[in-house]
Amino acid sequence: MARFQIKFFEPEAVVFDTASGDTHFLAPFTVVLFRMIQDNPGMTADEMYASLASRLSLGISPEFTHQTDEALASLRQIGLLETP
Amino acid sequence: MKLLQLSPADLRHQLAGTGVWLRTGPFSLRVRSRIPHVAEGLADLYGQFEVRNSRQAFADFHVELNPPPLRRWFRPQVNFSFDGTLPFKPLPLDQAYPMLEWGLNWCVSMHAHHYLVIHAAVVEKNGLAAILPAPPGSGKSTLTAGLVLSGWRLLSDELTLIDRKTGLLHALPRPVSLKNQSIDVIRQFSPEAFINRVSHDTAKGSVAHMRPPRDSVLRQHEPARPGWVIFPKWEAGADTMLTPRSKAQTFMFLAQNAFNYSHLGADGFRVGAALIDQTHCYDFRYSELNEAVAAFDRLAEHRIS
Repeated sequence: MARFQIKFFEPEAVVFDTASGDTHFLAPFTVVLFRMIQDNPGMTADEMYASLASRLSLGISPEFTHQTDEALASLRQIGLLETP
Repeated sequence: MKLLQLSPADLRHQLAGTGVWLRTGPFSLRVRSRIPHVAEGLADLYGQFEVRNSRQAFADFHVELNPPPLRRWFRPQVNFSFDGTLPFKPLPLDQAYPMLEWGLNWCVSMHAHHYLVIHAAVVEKNGLAAILPAPPGSGKSTLTAGLVLSGWRLLSDELTLIDRKTGLLHALPRPVSLKNQSIDVIRQFSPEAFINRVSHDTAKGSVAHMRPPRDSVLRQHEPARPGWVIFPKWEAGADTMLTPRSKAQTFMFLAQNAFNYSHLGADGFRVGAALIDQTHCYDFRYSELNEAVAAFDRLAEHRIS
Protein backbone atom coordinates (compact mmCIF):
# COMPACT_ATOMS: atom_id res chain seq x y z
CA MET A 1 0.00 0.00 0.00
CA ALA A 2 1.22 3.52 -0.80
CA ARG A 3 2.22 5.58 2.21
CA PHE A 4 -0.18 8.40 1.33
CA GLN A 5 -3.84 8.21 0.42
CA ILE A 6 -5.16 11.41 -1.11
CA LYS A 7 -8.78 12.36 -1.62
CA PHE A 8 -9.50 15.48 -3.63
CA PHE A 9 -12.61 17.45 -2.77
CA GLU A 10 -12.11 20.23 -5.31
CA PRO A 11 -10.56 22.70 -4.82
CA GLU A 12 -9.22 21.20 -1.56
CA ALA A 13 -7.93 17.79 -0.53
CA VAL A 14 -7.33 15.56 2.48
CA VAL A 15 -4.33 13.26 2.88
CA PHE A 16 -3.98 10.20 5.08
CA ASP A 17 -0.47 9.15 6.07
CA THR A 18 -0.54 5.40 6.65
CA ALA A 19 2.85 5.57 8.37
CA SER A 20 1.87 8.05 11.08
CA GLY A 21 -1.92 7.69 11.03
CA ASP A 22 -2.19 11.46 10.66
CA THR A 23 -4.72 13.17 8.39
CA HIS A 24 -3.89 16.48 6.74
CA PHE A 25 -5.93 19.19 5.03
CA LEU A 26 -4.60 20.73 1.82
CA ALA A 27 -5.86 24.24 1.01
CA PRO A 28 -6.64 25.11 -2.64
CA PHE A 29 -3.29 26.86 -3.25
CA THR A 30 -1.36 23.87 -1.85
CA VAL A 31 -3.40 21.46 -4.00
CA VAL A 32 -2.48 23.37 -7.18
CA LEU A 33 1.19 23.42 -6.15
CA PHE A 34 1.18 19.73 -5.26
CA ARG A 35 -0.33 18.74 -8.60
CA MET A 36 2.11 20.94 -10.50
CA ILE A 37 5.08 19.32 -8.77
CA GLN A 38 3.69 15.85 -9.44
CA ASP A 39 3.27 16.70 -13.14
CA ASN A 40 6.69 18.39 -13.43
CA PRO A 41 9.26 16.77 -11.14
CA GLY A 42 12.68 18.42 -10.93
CA MET A 43 11.61 22.05 -11.37
CA THR A 44 13.81 24.81 -9.97
CA ALA A 45 12.31 27.30 -7.53
CA ASP A 46 12.13 30.03 -10.20
CA GLU A 47 10.47 27.67 -12.68
CA MET A 48 8.00 26.70 -9.96
CA TYR A 49 7.08 30.31 -9.14
CA ALA A 50 6.62 31.12 -12.85
CA SER A 51 4.56 28.03 -13.63
CA LEU A 52 2.37 28.41 -10.55
CA ALA A 53 1.79 32.11 -11.18
CA SER A 54 0.81 31.30 -14.75
CA ARG A 55 -1.66 28.57 -13.64
CA LEU A 56 -3.28 30.90 -11.11
CA SER A 57 -3.13 34.01 -13.36
CA LEU A 58 -1.15 35.87 -10.68
CA GLY A 59 1.94 38.07 -10.76
CA ILE A 60 5.16 36.97 -9.01
CA SER A 61 5.31 39.22 -5.96
CA PRO A 62 7.18 38.78 -2.66
CA GLU A 63 3.88 37.77 -1.05
CA PHE A 64 3.35 35.17 -3.78
CA THR A 65 6.80 33.61 -3.40
CA HIS A 66 6.40 33.64 0.40
CA GLN A 67 3.04 31.85 0.13
CA THR A 68 4.55 29.33 -2.27
CA ASP A 69 7.48 28.67 0.05
CA GLU A 70 5.10 28.15 2.97
CA ALA A 71 2.98 25.72 0.95
CA LEU A 72 6.14 23.84 -0.07
CA ALA A 73 7.20 23.69 3.57
CA SER A 74 3.84 22.28 4.58
CA LEU A 75 4.06 19.59 1.86
CA ARG A 76 7.57 18.71 3.08
CA GLN A 77 6.38 18.62 6.70
CA ILE A 78 3.58 16.23 5.78
CA GLY A 79 6.06 14.12 3.85
CA LEU A 80 4.47 14.55 0.44
CA LEU A 81 7.68 16.23 -0.79
CA GLU A 82 11.03 14.68 -0.07
CA THR A 83 13.25 17.30 -1.70
CA PRO A 84 15.64 19.23 0.60
CA MET B 1 -41.98 -9.24 23.51
CA LYS B 2 -41.80 -5.50 24.17
CA LEU B 3 -40.63 -3.93 27.40
CA LEU B 4 -44.00 -2.23 27.91
CA GLN B 5 -45.56 -5.69 28.29
CA LEU B 6 -43.62 -6.20 31.52
CA SER B 7 -45.48 -5.01 34.62
CA PRO B 8 -43.61 -2.43 36.72
CA ALA B 9 -43.13 -5.07 39.41
CA ASP B 10 -41.76 -7.61 36.90
CA LEU B 11 -39.43 -5.01 35.42
CA ARG B 12 -38.04 -4.07 38.85
CA HIS B 13 -37.73 -7.75 39.81
CA GLN B 14 -35.85 -8.67 36.63
CA LEU B 15 -33.60 -5.62 36.83
CA ALA B 16 -32.66 -6.45 40.40
CA GLY B 17 -32.14 -10.12 39.53
CA THR B 18 -30.77 -11.58 36.31
CA GLY B 19 -31.24 -8.31 34.44
CA VAL B 20 -33.33 -7.09 31.51
CA TRP B 21 -32.20 -7.98 28.00
CA LEU B 22 -32.88 -5.22 25.46
CA ARG B 23 -32.18 -4.75 21.78
CA THR B 24 -31.28 -1.23 20.63
CA GLY B 25 -30.44 -1.07 16.93
CA PRO B 26 -27.66 -3.53 16.11
CA PHE B 27 -26.72 -4.04 19.77
CA SER B 28 -28.16 -6.12 22.56
CA LEU B 29 -27.58 -5.32 26.18
CA ARG B 30 -28.32 -6.70 29.60
CA VAL B 31 -29.07 -4.13 32.27
CA ARG B 32 -29.10 -4.86 35.98
CA SER B 33 -30.04 -2.36 38.70
CA ARG B 34 -31.80 -2.12 42.04
CA ILE B 35 -32.33 1.63 41.61
CA PRO B 36 -36.00 2.68 41.15
CA HIS B 37 -35.07 5.62 38.85
CA VAL B 38 -33.46 3.21 36.40
CA ALA B 39 -36.56 1.02 36.28
CA GLU B 40 -38.73 4.12 35.92
CA GLY B 41 -36.55 5.50 33.09
CA LEU B 42 -36.58 2.22 31.17
CA ALA B 43 -40.36 1.88 31.56
CA ASP B 44 -40.90 5.49 30.46
CA LEU B 45 -38.56 5.51 27.48
CA TYR B 46 -37.91 1.97 26.23
CA GLY B 47 -41.47 0.60 26.12
CA GLN B 48 -41.37 -0.17 22.39
CA PHE B 49 -38.04 -1.99 22.53
CA GLU B 50 -37.71 -5.76 22.26
CA VAL B 51 -36.90 -7.68 25.44
CA ARG B 52 -35.96 -11.33 25.82
CA ASN B 53 -35.16 -13.75 28.59
CA SER B 54 -31.82 -12.51 29.88
CA ARG B 55 -30.80 -16.01 31.00
CA GLN B 56 -30.91 -17.31 27.43
CA ALA B 57 -30.17 -14.41 25.07
CA PHE B 58 -26.65 -13.30 24.16
CA ALA B 59 -25.88 -9.68 25.03
CA ASP B 60 -23.17 -7.48 23.50
CA PHE B 61 -22.95 -5.29 26.60
CA HIS B 62 -23.53 -6.27 30.24
CA VAL B 63 -24.09 -3.15 32.32
CA GLU B 64 -25.08 -2.60 35.92
CA LEU B 65 -26.06 0.51 37.85
CA ASN B 66 -26.02 0.18 41.61
CA PRO B 67 -24.86 2.17 44.64
CA PRO B 68 -21.29 1.61 45.82
CA PRO B 69 -21.34 -0.63 48.92
CA LEU B 70 -20.69 2.13 51.48
CA ARG B 71 -22.67 5.00 49.95
CA ARG B 72 -26.27 3.87 50.25
CA TRP B 73 -27.36 6.33 52.89
CA PHE B 74 -24.90 9.25 53.11
CA ARG B 75 -25.01 11.30 49.88
CA PRO B 76 -25.97 8.16 47.96
CA GLN B 77 -24.16 7.51 44.71
CA VAL B 78 -24.39 5.24 41.69
CA ASN B 79 -21.71 3.28 39.84
CA PHE B 80 -21.89 2.29 36.17
CA SER B 81 -20.36 -1.13 35.68
CA PHE B 82 -19.46 -2.60 32.28
CA ASP B 83 -18.60 -6.30 32.17
CA GLY B 84 -17.67 -6.04 35.84
CA THR B 85 -15.36 -3.02 35.44
CA LEU B 86 -16.01 0.58 36.52
CA PRO B 87 -15.04 2.92 33.65
CA PHE B 88 -16.34 6.07 35.40
CA LYS B 89 -16.30 7.67 38.82
CA PRO B 90 -19.61 7.33 40.71
CA LEU B 91 -22.29 10.02 40.29
CA PRO B 92 -25.04 11.19 42.67
CA LEU B 93 -27.82 8.62 42.84
CA ASP B 94 -30.29 11.10 41.33
CA GLN B 95 -28.29 10.90 38.09
CA ALA B 96 -28.60 7.11 37.74
CA TYR B 97 -30.77 7.22 34.63
CA PRO B 98 -28.68 9.73 32.64
CA MET B 99 -25.62 7.73 33.70
CA LEU B 100 -27.17 4.66 32.06
CA GLU B 101 -27.62 6.58 28.79
CA TRP B 102 -24.11 8.06 28.90
CA GLY B 103 -22.67 4.68 29.77
CA LEU B 104 -24.44 3.00 26.85
CA ASN B 105 -23.07 5.66 24.49
CA TRP B 106 -19.62 4.87 25.85
CA CYS B 107 -20.13 1.13 25.32
CA VAL B 108 -20.95 1.63 21.65
CA SER B 109 -18.36 4.31 20.91
CA MET B 110 -15.53 2.30 22.51
CA HIS B 111 -16.36 -1.14 21.15
CA ALA B 112 -18.34 -1.01 17.88
CA HIS B 113 -15.36 -0.96 15.52
CA HIS B 114 -17.22 -2.62 12.68
CA TYR B 115 -18.62 0.89 12.22
CA LEU B 116 -16.94 4.24 11.83
CA VAL B 117 -18.58 5.92 14.83
CA ILE B 118 -18.95 9.70 14.69
CA HIS B 119 -20.23 11.96 17.45
CA ALA B 120 -23.26 13.30 15.57
CA ALA B 121 -27.02 12.95 15.43
CA VAL B 122 -28.69 11.31 12.41
CA VAL B 123 -32.23 11.74 11.11
CA GLU B 124 -33.81 10.45 7.91
CA LYS B 125 -36.63 11.38 5.58
CA ASN B 126 -37.58 10.05 2.13
CA GLY B 127 -34.74 7.55 2.27
CA LEU B 128 -31.90 10.01 2.82
CA ALA B 129 -30.21 10.74 6.12
CA ALA B 130 -28.91 14.02 7.49
CA ILE B 131 -25.88 13.76 9.77
CA LEU B 132 -25.78 16.58 12.33
CA PRO B 133 -22.36 16.96 13.92
CA ALA B 134 -21.84 19.91 16.19
CA PRO B 135 -20.09 20.97 19.38
CA PRO B 136 -22.08 21.04 22.64
CA GLY B 137 -24.40 24.02 22.93
CA SER B 138 -25.02 24.28 19.20
CA GLY B 139 -28.65 23.19 19.44
CA LYS B 140 -28.05 19.79 17.83
CA SER B 141 -30.23 17.77 20.21
CA THR B 142 -33.01 20.38 20.17
CA LEU B 143 -33.07 20.34 16.38
CA THR B 144 -32.94 16.54 16.34
CA ALA B 145 -35.90 16.35 18.74
CA GLY B 146 -37.83 18.92 16.69
CA LEU B 147 -37.21 17.00 13.47
CA VAL B 148 -38.20 13.58 14.82
CA LEU B 149 -41.36 15.10 16.32
CA SER B 150 -42.15 16.42 12.82
CA GLY B 151 -41.94 13.26 10.76
CA TRP B 152 -38.22 12.66 10.39
CA ARG B 153 -36.98 9.23 11.51
CA LEU B 154 -34.57 9.14 14.43
CA LEU B 155 -31.46 7.09 13.78
CA SER B 156 -29.55 8.51 16.75
CA ASP B 157 -29.16 11.73 18.67
CA GLU B 158 -25.50 11.07 19.58
CA LEU B 159 -23.81 8.35 17.52
CA THR B 160 -23.58 8.07 13.75
CA LEU B 161 -22.83 4.44 12.88
CA ILE B 162 -21.36 4.12 9.37
CA ASP B 163 -21.22 0.55 8.11
CA ARG B 164 -17.63 0.02 6.91
CA LYS B 165 -18.72 -2.42 4.19
CA THR B 166 -21.76 -0.68 2.73
CA GLY B 167 -21.36 2.96 3.79
CA LEU B 168 -24.97 2.89 5.01
CA LEU B 169 -25.98 4.45 8.31
CA HIS B 170 -27.34 2.12 10.98
CA ALA B 171 -29.97 3.21 13.46
CA LEU B 172 -29.63 3.35 17.22
CA PRO B 173 -32.88 5.16 18.08
CA ARG B 174 -32.46 5.47 21.83
CA PRO B 175 -33.98 8.35 23.83
CA VAL B 176 -32.99 11.90 22.81
CA SER B 177 -30.94 13.72 25.44
CA LEU B 178 -32.22 17.24 26.21
CA LYS B 179 -30.33 19.74 28.30
CA ASN B 180 -31.25 22.92 30.16
CA GLN B 181 -33.43 25.28 28.07
CA SER B 182 -33.92 22.61 25.39
CA ILE B 183 -36.24 20.73 27.73
CA ASP B 184 -38.79 23.56 27.82
CA VAL B 185 -38.26 24.38 24.14
CA ILE B 186 -39.31 20.86 23.20
CA ARG B 187 -42.18 20.82 25.73
CA GLN B 188 -43.54 23.97 24.05
CA PHE B 189 -42.80 22.71 20.54
CA SER B 190 -44.73 19.49 21.10
CA PRO B 191 -46.75 19.15 24.32
CA GLU B 192 -47.43 15.50 23.36
CA ALA B 193 -43.74 14.58 23.45
CA PHE B 194 -42.89 12.43 26.45
CA ILE B 195 -39.92 13.74 28.40
CA ASN B 196 -38.88 11.90 31.55
CA ARG B 197 -37.98 13.38 34.94
CA VAL B 198 -35.24 15.99 34.96
CA SER B 199 -31.91 15.25 36.66
CA HIS B 200 -30.44 18.49 37.98
CA ASP B 201 -26.83 19.55 38.61
CA THR B 202 -25.24 16.99 36.30
CA ALA B 203 -21.95 17.74 34.52
CA LYS B 204 -24.12 18.91 31.60
CA GLY B 205 -26.58 20.91 33.71
CA SER B 206 -30.20 19.80 33.91
CA VAL B 207 -30.76 16.71 31.76
CA ALA B 208 -33.86 14.81 30.65
CA HIS B 209 -34.58 12.31 27.89
CA MET B 210 -37.31 12.30 25.25
CA ARG B 211 -38.95 9.01 24.31
CA PRO B 212 -38.01 8.04 20.73
CA PRO B 213 -40.93 7.95 18.26
CA ARG B 214 -42.53 4.51 17.95
CA ASP B 215 -41.99 4.42 14.18
CA SER B 216 -38.25 5.04 14.62
CA VAL B 217 -38.00 2.14 17.05
CA LEU B 218 -40.02 -0.18 14.80
CA ARG B 219 -37.67 0.68 11.90
CA GLN B 220 -34.48 0.42 13.94
CA HIS B 221 -33.09 -2.37 11.75
CA GLU B 222 -33.54 -0.34 8.56
CA PRO B 223 -30.32 1.43 7.49
CA ALA B 224 -30.34 4.75 5.63
CA ARG B 225 -28.30 6.24 2.81
CA PRO B 226 -26.34 9.36 3.76
CA GLY B 227 -27.59 12.47 2.01
CA TRP B 228 -26.28 15.48 3.92
CA VAL B 229 -23.82 16.54 6.58
CA ILE B 230 -25.28 19.64 8.23
CA PHE B 231 -23.66 21.64 11.03
CA PRO B 232 -26.48 23.25 13.05
CA LYS B 233 -25.93 26.38 15.11
CA TRP B 234 -28.66 27.97 17.19
CA GLU B 235 -28.30 31.75 17.47
CA ALA B 236 -30.82 34.05 19.13
CA GLY B 237 -32.61 36.10 16.47
CA ALA B 238 -30.76 34.50 13.54
CA ASP B 239 -32.55 34.03 10.23
CA THR B 240 -32.83 30.42 9.13
CA MET B 241 -29.97 29.94 6.69
CA LEU B 242 -28.41 26.95 4.97
CA THR B 243 -25.03 27.62 3.35
CA PRO B 244 -22.72 25.17 1.55
CA ARG B 245 -19.48 24.35 3.34
CA SER B 246 -16.15 22.87 2.31
CA LYS B 247 -16.23 19.09 1.91
CA ALA B 248 -12.56 18.72 2.86
CA GLN B 249 -13.04 20.74 6.04
CA THR B 250 -16.16 18.76 6.82
CA PHE B 251 -14.12 15.57 6.44
CA MET B 252 -11.50 16.92 8.85
CA PHE B 253 -14.16 17.81 11.44
CA LEU B 254 -15.75 14.38 11.21
CA ALA B 255 -12.36 12.66 11.50
CA GLN B 256 -11.59 14.67 14.63
CA ASN B 257 -15.03 13.92 16.08
CA ALA B 258 -15.07 10.21 15.28
CA PHE B 259 -14.54 7.94 18.26
CA ASN B 260 -12.56 5.32 16.37
CA TYR B 261 -11.13 7.05 13.25
CA SER B 262 -7.56 6.64 14.49
CA HIS B 263 -8.22 3.06 15.53
CA LEU B 264 -9.45 2.16 12.02
CA GLY B 265 -6.45 3.71 10.23
CA ALA B 266 -6.62 3.78 6.43
CA ASP B 267 -10.06 2.16 6.44
CA GLY B 268 -11.43 5.00 8.56
CA PHE B 269 -10.08 7.43 5.95
CA ARG B 270 -11.67 5.43 3.14
CA VAL B 271 -15.06 5.18 4.84
CA GLY B 272 -15.07 8.87 5.81
CA ALA B 273 -14.03 10.00 2.33
CA ALA B 274 -16.73 7.84 0.71
CA LEU B 275 -19.31 9.36 3.06
CA ILE B 276 -18.33 12.93 2.18
CA ASP B 277 -18.24 12.04 -1.52
CA GLN B 278 -21.92 11.13 -1.54
CA THR B 279 -23.25 13.90 0.70
CA HIS B 280 -23.97 17.61 0.44
CA CYS B 281 -22.33 19.59 3.22
CA TYR B 282 -23.90 22.66 4.82
CA ASP B 283 -23.70 25.07 7.73
CA PHE B 284 -27.13 25.78 9.19
CA ARG B 285 -28.11 28.70 11.41
CA TYR B 286 -31.47 29.01 13.06
CA SER B 287 -33.32 30.59 15.95
CA GLU B 288 -36.90 29.28 15.46
CA LEU B 289 -37.37 25.52 15.62
CA ASN B 290 -40.47 25.57 13.38
CA GLU B 291 -38.55 27.38 10.66
CA ALA B 292 -35.62 25.02 11.03
CA VAL B 293 -37.86 21.99 10.56
CA ALA B 294 -39.46 23.62 7.49
CA ALA B 295 -36.00 24.23 5.99
CA PHE B 296 -35.07 20.56 6.50
CA ASP B 297 -38.38 19.49 4.97
CA ARG B 298 -37.67 21.61 1.88
CA LEU B 299 -34.26 19.99 1.61
CA ALA B 300 -35.79 16.50 1.77
CA GLU B 301 -38.51 17.39 -0.76
CA HIS B 302 -35.97 18.92 -3.14
CA ARG B 303 -33.93 15.72 -3.16
CA ILE B 304 -36.84 13.56 -4.29
CA SER B 305 -38.26 15.98 -6.87
